[in-house]
Amino acid sequence: MLAVMAREIRLLPRRPALAGLVIVLPVIMLLVLGGIFRAGIPTGMAVAVIDLDRSDLSRAVTRMLDAAPELTVTHRASDLSEARSLIVSGAVRGAVLMPPDLERDLIRGDRPEIVTFYDNQHMSAGSLVARGARNAIDTALAGLRLSVRQGQGEAPVQAMVALQPIPMQAHALFNPAFDYVHFLLAALIPTVLQIIAAAATAYAVSLDFGPGRHPRVLMRMGGGILPAMLGKILPYTIIFLLILGLSDVALYGWLAVPLRGSLWLMALGAVLFVLASQMIGALAFVLTRDMGRAASMIALITAPAFGFMGLGFPREAMSTLAQAWGAAIPGTWYVQLRIDQSLRATPLDISAMSVLWLAVIAGVLAALILAQLSRLARQEAAP
Amino acid sequence: MSPLATAFRAELAAVLGDKQVRMIVLLALILYAVIYPLPYRAELLRDVPVVLVDQDGSTASADLARRVDASEAVALTHRAPDMAEATRLVHERRAYGVMLIPDGFERALLRGDQSPVALYADASYFLMYQRVMQGAAVPLRQMGAEIEAGRLIAQGTPRAVATAQVSPAVQVEVPLFNPAAGYATYVLPAAFVLILQQTMMMGLALAATRRGPLPGHPVWRLMGRAGAWLAIWAGLLPIYLIVLPVLYGLPILGGPGALMMLGLPFVLAAGFLAQLVAALFRCGEVVQVVLLALGLPFFFLSGFAWPVEAIPAHLNAVAQLIPSTPAIDGLVRVTQMGATLPQIAPVLWHLWALAGGLGLTVLAVETRRTARQGHRLPT
Repeated sequence: MLAVMAREIRLLPRRPALAGLVIVLPVIMLLVLGGIFRAGIPTGMAVAVIDLDRSDLSRAVTRMLDAAPELTVTHRASDLSEARSLIVSGAVRGAVLMPPDLERDLIRGDRPEIVTFYDNQHMSAGSLVARGARNAIDTALAGLRLSVRQGQGEAPVQAMVALQPIPMQAHALFNPAFDYVHFLLAALIPTVLQIIAAAATAYAVSLDFGPGRHPRVLMRMGGGILPAMLGKILPYTIIFLLILGLSDVALYGWLAVPLRGSLWLMALGAVLFVLASQMIGALAFVLTRDMGRAASMIALITAPAFGFMGLGFPREAMSTLAQAWGAAIPGTWYVQLRIDQSLRATPLDISAMSVLWLAVIAGVLAALILAQLSRLARQEAAP
Repeated sequence: MSPLATAFRAELAAVLGDKQVRMIVLLALILYAVIYPLPYRAELLRDVPVVLVDQDGSTASADLARRVDASEAVALTHRAPDMAEATRLVHERRAYGVMLIPDGFERALLRGDQSPVALYADASYFLMYQRVMQGAAVPLRQMGAEIEAGRLIAQGTPRAVATAQVSPAVQVEVPLFNPAAGYATYVLPAAFVLILQQTMMMGLALAATRRGPLPGHPVWRLMGRAGAWLAIWAGLLPIYLIVLPVLYGLPILGGPGALMMLGLPFVLAAGFLAQLVAALFRCGEVVQVVLLALGLPFFFLSGFAWPVEAIPAHLNAVAQLIPSTPAIDGLVRVTQMGATLPQIAPVLWHLWALAGGLGLTVLAVETRRTARQGHRLPT
């Protein structure tokens, strides 16, 4: 087996396509993904103001909107249809409408409406705009309420207390800085690596076990088909683990993602995850015996895997079928383990379940590969 | 037969006749359309489970809990005596938030003091965090306003004046184009455009790596091929962008005319890019793997899910060279937001510029290769 491994590593520099797939491609992916999310929380979304009142109050609200970190007031629209057109064309992501006589109605106690329109097709940006506008208008109105109470002779501190009888103390569990980037990157890197590990392993296996190749040489070198297969796969396991380690150094070092849990459990999970991903590729190849069809099979399983991990839309809210499909993919459990052990500091007894699932998936895949290999060996033995 | 017609027929045969290419292009359509949207079928998050830690046990705390439980976003599914037990439930993912009503909540309210309530929401899941905060904030604010108004009335302020003083203006929020904030409505229209581009590029690049030499000037050969792509994707594009969304019950505002006008340069640009990828990697299997791995980065580079405002400028500049970046933006605006062509003219020009630029690059590469082959095999 060691002989096969040594041969595989020796051959790597002579196969530029394979070396590109297992080393260059993952490193480029790491750099691109890290680059996209490096800036952190999105700020400065463009919004339009439809100020039909043109009063001190409407100008104060506009100032508050522009001061909100989420927003920048870039346009002034004269009516709703102009604002709508600006949103549809993408010039702005939302618009705030202040009706005529806003200030007068407000002083009279008629409770006029301030309306925020936002583009919820682009939901991530839209919800930021809604939040920014809500807070800015709240702040402007709170200032007004405060001055009314002070005008009635209340002390500033007393007035502040009276404004909010039940204040909400909001705490973001596990993610106090509310930096969603940690979670996205922690999940995107394994997803992309899962695709590459599966596909590259299938490709490496195809170079020796494909039609027109002579796996016998390898089998003689390793002394049997199992050591030959292991010798073929393990060098790439080491390479992918190194790349995963590199991404961890970048995440936890450079991007300063907190690491609160057990490194050992994460490392064990990483080994099982890489092996399971590789075995998806190996299984796809030994089943189809054709790289093209194997690549399509790998694509079907690994390409949509991100959605099933539940980072955007949570797994618990998915249908049972979608949950089951996600549970069969190694990345789902590995990403859960990473998030649990790095950010949530989950107790080990809960997190061990993810590792157990990874081991089960890896075991089942290994058994399927062995069954198919022995079937192929029998076929070759019987002329 | 003219070189143009020969190239047209050869490309049609290469895409529709080759079993593997046909499998990528057609089977991918069916399987991706089934598997990809599977996680998002539920669309909305309702009644996110939250743990209640009620240390006050009073009438007021029970009233607050009832109000929060009644909200659409959250449900108080568990009760725990302390934070340690509540946090354990969150770790197990059986709940996504904790509402802590401290001892003395009611007494502080009766005395006229501020009486805070703590809300812990699981911020590892952005959507869950938002729902938990939303679900609790609205009832809390409402109860707070009622109490403030009640105090003012008790001091002798007329009811109407008290209400106006507590909330001098009404804040209305109108979410446009996806009013229910459905997740499938949000993500699928953009994802379908990306899947279309990736499967198309995989198929065409694979066909390109297997192509034999053809007669005629590269210009005619390339035009013939482009004609074949347009003929095939004139059928497939509406399936991805009209039929599939309708099957999944997504709202469609835009007309098919604007869709096809945007689709034309998009198909050309993606086809030309596929030729370049094929020329760069040569081996069909490698091309497939590379395009597979690029899918997710392309999606996030497009500025749809991750706002373009947050993408570093140099990466964003590179992203503009990928056809999916303008195509996702333009097509989503047309189909989901009802944009007219003049409203998205910059996107249309962007796509045509890409198609033109990439087309010329392919032409340069192929002319050089033909010249080199000519040197090697003088005929």
